[in-house]
Amino acid sequence: MAFRGPRNFKNFREKRRIEDDDSEQSKSNNPVIQNFLIYRKELDNKHDRHEKLVKLSRDITIESKRIIFLLHNIDARKNNKESVLSEAKERLDKVINSNFATIAYELVGHEIFQYMRAISPALQEFIEALTFYEFLSDKQCSDWEVIKERLKYKHDELDEISLHLAPAEYMLGFADNTGEIMRFCINSLGSGETDNCFKACKFLQNIYAHFLSIGSVPNHGRDFSQKISTMKMSTLKTEHVCYQLKVRGTEGAKFPSLDIKLDNDDIDEGFY
Amino acid sequence: MDMFNKFNNYLEEEQEIREKIREIVRQIDTESKEAVTVLQIIHTSLTDVMPACLKAREIFQRCNDMYQKLAQVVPTGQYYRFSDHWNWTTQRLISLIALVIYLEAGILVSRDTSAEILGLKSSSSDGFHLDLEMYLMGILQMSNDLSRFAINSVTLGDYSRVLLLQNFISDLSSGFRLLNLKNDALRKRFDGLKYDVKKIEEIVYDLSIRGLLIKPVDTESLPESSMKED
Repeated sequence: MAFRGPRNFKNFREKRRIEDDDSEQSKSNNPVIQNFLIYRKELDNKHDRHEKLVKLSRDITIESKRIIFLLHNIDARKNNKESVLSEAKERLDKVINSNFATIAYELVGHEIFQYMRAISPALQEFIEALTFYEFLSDKQCSDWEVIKERLKYKHDELDEISLHLAPAEYMLGFADNTGEIMRFCINSLGSGETDNCFKACKFLQNIYAHFLSIGSVPNHGRDFSQKISTMKMSTLKTEHVCYQLKVRGTEGAKFPSLDIKLDNDDIDEGFY
Repeated sequence: MDMFNKFNNYLEEEQEIREKIREIVRQIDTESKEAVTVLQIIHTSLTDVMPACLKAREIFQRCNDMYQKLAQVVPTGQYYRFSDHWNWTTQRLISLIALVIYLEAGILVSRDTSAEILGLKSSSSDGFHLDLEMYLMGILQMSNDLSRFAINSVTLGDYSRVLLLQNFISDLSSGFRLLNLKNDALRKRFDGLKYDVKKIEEIVYDLSIRGLLIKPVDTESLPESSMKED
């Protein structure tokens, strides 16, 4: 989004110019002008809120990616599973209790669906981190209703505000999680924890089968079919790992096979 | 897994709502097409303008009824989840309403009035509302019709009307210039407005160099008097 800079500047200048004209215009009795001044305020309000949400959302995306990266650091040889998991939990809680809270407050009195495009990347990336964490802690992955319960906040005037989590957003985030599990499987092969590879493979096969059963999703049809095809690739890779483990036994752990490579074929894995 | 069953149930419910919305919007769409057809007469006969407006108003009333039904089908607080379904049709209706109001009274219909005609609220906090951007898109759509109307009213012998149109559309365009538009659909549609302005200005030029516009026109009082001539 860095390329936006110059344009924002231009908008800013335009805004200034228009504000300078304001004194003249607000005096004008022309009802058209009067009405458009009201419309301008409303539009500006909406655009500003959208920009703000995009920024807030980007912070969550970055933090979620970092948490995922942290979780990949779990290594039996370092014996750090406990400490990494507890750090991840802390950071995930913080995202819920502070970052998402800010978004929820920002949306009070406004419809979340109007700003869905601004915050959906954050929601998805966060779901991905959270469910990956739960998978690694051998918990059952919480579904959207469980997470929704956690996205509720106190408000001074209203009793409680909540951030709506659309099931489709949850599913898309959960689908991304399978890519992480594939990486986890391959890392485990490297570190010699072959049980994890089988566990990951079973999990992926299960999830993949269920995703195939999903009906058509309005407005997200393409997202889903793309994610499902990425998921298939991930599943195939883990199946291949398991196959090799079975055939070659533990030698695979000592000499990780060269033909299992991590293709960078899903684009969202840039690390900030 | 449980979760996937739940998700599929959720999808089914969503499909049902969308199906209902689609059906109602389809009916509104049919009505709005009829209004478009009815209003085509303004390009061929100036004496039929007023009757056409009356007919169009009847159609708007029928649309009003259907928007009430639509408001009941769409769950509260989920306007923008489904608004793609009626976005386009509503824009068209707004453009027709704006055209009719202009023909009747010579003014630009406000967002509040056009919302009222369709039985919608003007603000989202009051319920099923008319989205501001839908309204603005509709208004820009009307400007296109106006430039055609300007040409045809000259052809039909009404020269003075063009000056009124020029006044109206330049007000409109200075109104839009007040908005800070993002690089979105509204901006693109707005960029088209200047061609309509230009077209009408060219007509005024054509008429004035030939001395066909003799008196400078008092723009405040003319809309009504020119209507009476019809």
